Amino acid sequence: MKFHKEVTTKNIWVLFCCLLLAFTFIIGCGDDDDPEPTDEAYDAASMLSNFANNVVLATYSELDSKAGDLLTAVKALEADTTQANLEKAQQAWVATRTPWEQSEAFLFGPVDTQGLDPALDSWPVDHVNLQSVLDSGDDLTVDYVVGLEDTQKGFHTIEFLLFREGDQRQADDITERELQYLVSSTMNLKDSTSQLRLAWAPEGENYSNTVASAGEEGNAHYRSQSAGVQEMVNGMIVIADEVANGKIADPYNEEDTTLVESQFSFNSISDFQDNIRGIQNVYMGKYKTDGQGLDEFVNGKNADLDSRFQSEVQTAIDTIGAIPDPFRDSITENRPAVQAAIDAVSKVQLTLEEDILPLVQASEFN
Amino acid sequence: MTVPTKITINMKFFHTVLFLTLLVSILIGCNSEQPTDILKSDSPIDSTGALSGGDTTVFDASSHAFSTPAPNLSPTAFEKHLAGDREFEQAFVTAPAVVNPGLGPIYNNVTCINCHARDGRGRPPGVDEKFVSMLFRLSLPNTENEEAGKSPIPVPGYGTQLNNRAIYGTPAEGTVKIEYSEQPLTTADGTRVHLRYPNYTIIDAYHPLPQDVEVSPRVAPVVFGLGLLEAIPEKIILTYADENDVNGDGISGKPNYVWDVVQKRYALGRFGWKANQPTLLQQVASAYHDDMGVTTSLFPFENSTGQSQLKENSPIPEVSDEILDVVTFYVQTLAVPARRNVDDPQVMHGEQLFAQAQCASCHIPTLRTGILDGVPSVSNQTIHPFTDMLLHDMGPDLADNRPDFQANGSEWRTPPLWGIGLVRTVNGHTNFLHDGRARDLMEAILWHGGEAEKSREITLQMSETERDALIAFLESL
Repeated sequence: MKFHKEVTTKNIWVLFCCLLLAFTFIIGCGDDDDPEPTDEAYDAASMLSNFANNVVLATYSELDSKAGDLLTAVKALEADTTQANLEKAQQAWVATRTPWEQSEAFLFGPVDTQGLDPALDSWPVDHVNLQSVLDSGDDLTVDYVVGLEDTQKGFHTIEFLLFREGDQRQADDITERELQYLVSSTMNLKDSTSQLRLAWAPEGENYSNTVASAGEEGNAHYRSQSAGVQEMVNGMIVIADEVANGKIADPYNEEDTTLVESQFSFNSISDFQDNIRGIQNVYMGKYKTDGQGLDEFVNGKNADLDSRFQSEVQTAIDTIGAIPDPFRDSITENRPAVQAAIDAVSKVQLTLEEDILPLVQASEFN
Repeated sequence: MTVPTKITINMKFFHTVLFLTLLVSILIGCNSEQPTDILKSDSPIDSTGALSGGDTTVFDASSHAFSTPAPNLSPTAFEKHLAGDREFEQAFVTAPAVVNPGLGPIYNNVTCINCHARDGRGRPPGVDEKFVSMLFRLSLPNTENEEAGKSPIPVPGYGTQLNNRAIYGTPAEGTVKIEYSEQPLTTADGTRVHLRYPNYTIIDAYHPLPQDVEVSPRVAPVVFGLGLLEAIPEKIILTYADENDVNGDGISGKPNYVWDVVQKRYALGRFGWKANQPTLLQQVASAYHDDMGVTTSLFPFENSTGQSQLKENSPIPEVSDEILDVVTFYVQTLAVPARRNVDDPQVMHGEQLFAQAQCASCHIPTLRTGILDGVPSVSNQTIHPFTDMLLHDMGPDLADNRPDFQANGSEWRTPPLWGIGLVRTVNGHTNFLHDGRARDLMEAILWHGGEAEKSREITLQMSETERDALIAFLESL
């Protein structure tokens, strides 16, 4: 009811502003008819621009750069298949995984419309088909890998080839065919990350500008700033839901280790933390640089909500981090720690859904 | 993502106040083009409003507009929806496997969400792209039994759908080469529009194809709002039927009656481009079966049964009834996005033109749902789907020439238009019609023939201002 009352007060404001606007129209015909910005309307242009360029594009640039390092490491492993080179390739995989998982807080636009999310991150791996391919005499070129299903390429297929039970993979056990497949599928992954970066980059398709210019004349994707800001919030909600109710809860509820994400590398806990760090990046408008984020907007409307949410996000990251590694074992052996993580992420999701999204929906933007 | 209804009502109130105030100011003040159009019209302003899906409407103009749970779900229903959501995203793999075995051996895709990306609309592949969200139905001509109303006759070695992918070591059935030829069209005011005419050729066929094979292209339709469409009482739909055009308006409207595999009888067809599925349960089960080669209790035999690709028919369905149930519930309970800019004068003008051009004769703006058992959120809702759920002859240019039960080779079900203005935002393209041949909404209108020929003619006679208003209205949906 309190909320309703606030909105009613706002009704009067909007009515007043409308009348003011109407008055301007009446006396101002033929003049430059820029409407007076109202006190209520929030100009989200710099927040959207910072999100598109300094968070999304910057994360994808980092992803593409790390994928390049991974390819270098995998090629070195193929050239000289030592345990040391395997470990370097494993580290490069983990390093590439970080920006990808953070980018899951904004899974919209080209990553989706160009089919790159499934190409990069399909799960589960189609082991039977992968083994059939490895056992065949087919020439394992990049083009050949491109023609295969998404469940035989991307992060988890590469992970399966590089890792066993965490770091237990032995370089000596990796076959010639596996090395060829590893190089080709990593080249394919790098092609995908380049395509993704370019889709957002000014020198490419410049989707950054599509988001940054939400609400501007001629923007057919986002006809209002409100739609653009909603995109930001929805992206965070989707990944919070995915982590709380899917990635952590599914294996936990079923007590089934086969459902665990990044199960070959034991990288699950970092994956989940990076997902929530992605939320933090979007909310704070901060990646390599700190620009205008949703925090300023929320703070202007409700400072308590802003500080509460910031603390909930940090708590979620820390609580996930408190689950003992490997996550696979903790779903049975450390159930309170896992439950605490689910609760902490659910709190983030709830605040996004019940406080921040309604605040965005009820706000007037330029 | 629950949104308090209070806010939505208040937002509507804001917009109404804003609009009325602006209208008053404009009437008193200035002469500009848009207001003149309003004043010219003598019909009352009766917008269908923003709440396209009744209480299942969500206010969201982002890329999540089609993939949000209905805001009026109970906590239990919400959980069931989310369970269905996760199953909708599951990728199937080659058996044997620990997680999600049962793919194929022949199929079109490995997961629901790849075709229905963001629960949205598919498109034909671009140059050098693989088929992702488009497939081809096949059949033989119904020569032995001329009586309409029979299910499509399977093609030996293929069945009723071209499966263009297969697990390793198994031949896929073939693929399709798409070629387009551009043909110009001129509107009354001299504006040139180009329509692209598709030509489909099956290539790399693994088995001889009969010369007279019937081929029907289909892109994946949006999957939100479907529970509401399932909840429209059959008798309401039949009130719009006028198979023999008794009222002489040139528009017939014909119900399809299709085989219901659960009830084991013919039932009103509601879903699919030719309304060839009677229920969402059957729609979902047939998608698992036809598109992914995954069996269910409704379709317990592999789609490759009777073909060389078959490995074995498992006695246990590859997807359980429980999963089938939650996935069906998921597509029954996705929210419908609210309209935007309903009070914009240009949009309102467009809505009037939409009615004047008789578009609304088939794309019925307002319907009332009845009760859908087990899904109270979609029951007893006033909705604005812009469909009559019936078949119409759309002329030879759009015909697939592949009959499907009562639907003849040139008949299609009126597709709902709700959310159509958000396809670009959600799916990054504006390809419309059953095979995505139209590259924008105006092209889609200009492809309408047959019973809609008159609407097309009226559109061709419109001024640019009127055409823009009509499109602005469609983009507000």
